[in-house]
Amino acid sequence: MMSASEVIKLIDTTRCTACRGCQVACKQWNELPGLRTKNRGSYQNPPDLGWNTWTLIRFQEHVNEKGTFKWLFRKDGCMHCTDAGCVKVCPSGALYHTEYGTVGIKKNLCIGCKECIAACPFEIPRYNSRTDKITKCDLCLTRLQANQQPACVKSCPTGALSIGPKDKMIAAAYDRVKVLGGDANVYGDKFLGGTHVLYVLSEKPEVYDKLPKNPSIPLSVTVWKDWLKPLSWIAGGGVIAGSLLHYILHGPKRPYPEADQGDHAERGE
Amino acid sequence: MPEKGMIKATDLFERVVHWMLAGSCILLFITGLGMMFRELNFIGSFMGGLVGLKYVHNFTGIIFIVSLILATRMWWREAGRFEFPDDLEWIKQAGGYLWHVDHVAEAGKYNAGQKMFFLTVVGCGALMGVTGLIMWFPMGLPMGLVRWMYPLHAFGFVVLFAFFFVHLYLGTIGSPGSLPAMLNGWVTRAWAKTQHPKWLKEMEAAGKLEVYGEENKEAVSH
Repeated sequence: MMSASEVIKLIDTTRCTACRGCQVACKQWNELPGLRTKNRGSYQNPPDLGWNTWTLIRFQEHVNEKGTFKWLFRKDGCMHCTDAGCVKVCPSGALYHTEYGTVGIKKNLCIGCKECIAACPFEIPRYNSRTDKITKCDLCLTRLQANQQPACVKSCPTGALSIGPKDKMIAAAYDRVKVLGGDANVYGDKFLGGTHVLYVLSEKPEVYDKLPKNPSIPLSVTVWKDWLKPLSWIAGGGVIAGSLLHYILHGPKRPYPEADQGDHAERGE
Repeated sequence: MPEKGMIKATDLFERVVHWMLAGSCILLFITGLGMMFRELNFIGSFMGGLVGLKYVHNFTGIIFIVSLILATRMWWREAGRFEFPDDLEWIKQAGGYLWHVDHVAEAGKYNAGQKMFFLTVVGCGALMGVTGLIMWFPMGLPMGLVRWMYPLHAFGFVVLFAFFFVHLYLGTIGSPGSLPAMLNGWVTRAWAKTQHPKWLKEMEAAGKLEVYGEENKEAVSH
């Protein structure tokens, strides 16, 4: 099914029934424990993504301007960005782009610095204090490499989840939006260099909880990695070169010879 | 070894604090660079991998903060406050370091350049300590705050890294005779008269100057 070229996972929210089979399949394949949670009056459980929950169906009750009630289901998880903030800040190379364009994670390289947490516009990477490492969805990289679909896609009974070559999936998403009409839209292809997870949303993006309308790499990451990082060695190197130049052209500041002589005279030596 | 007639510029406590600050600062530079540039990740291999390097960096940071507090308390009175008009005059002449100046404004224990360096180290050092601690323990803090700790930490590094080399140059070959002040604490009278004439006069007038080979019960230390 998958050759080593860019893939996209399409999440068609209009076909999702919130059975949460993908949530279970993800935990099962990746051997992630289920931790006890409290009933909060919502089917959304656990309440948020975590080191042991890489994908989650978000349940949202929404009334549009016409007064129509809708129960929205959105599968949350890593978007696998092309311009990935997490890859950009990772000091050890633990987070990296795979041959499929997705963002993989090499657990053995992760040092638990948590820098990726603050760099992700979707708040995806989560910290496991027991292992002192970051965890997140890797789109079942080993399954892709074995020509298998990711566990979540495999488990989906309604066809809300599918995966395939990049161009084909983008075309499929736009075809679906055309059929749906209204506010339906494609989310993911227009920012961060194009994400490798694409949504077909039935409502405008700003309607959904925890979904940034126009996500981008945080300005703090740009200032830090694109401006200050190169400036650090330019400034350091400039000072070293300037000091050498000063030594050659101006010369060091030596004690005045007259200070020494005056001294001897004063002290009667 | 000091010779007869040399002058005591620093006491043992000052020198210990200086080298604690310098040593921790250099180790922080090296380990920080190991995390900042992926090409320098290999520095971690001397510390049991990059995880080890992270812990060396974090705990050295504690030593740095303690040293910085001691240094600030110790030198604030002499180097933390500008005295006008002498310091302003010194700045206008760039201390005679950049072009020829017939008569450089007389400096006290620390000249205006050293005061600016000291205040930069105190300011940027405090910035590094605060941002570093938040980066170490970011959980539960607002994301908007944590996000800006990284570029602020990098900014502090840019300034301190550049100033470090200025300090290194002027403390060694750029100003011969200065280094012993931080090694055994004894400097020549000619050096003191050239670099810190006002301090020399004041100390002599107060009878507090410690001269090698001469008794002085008035001599003070920190």
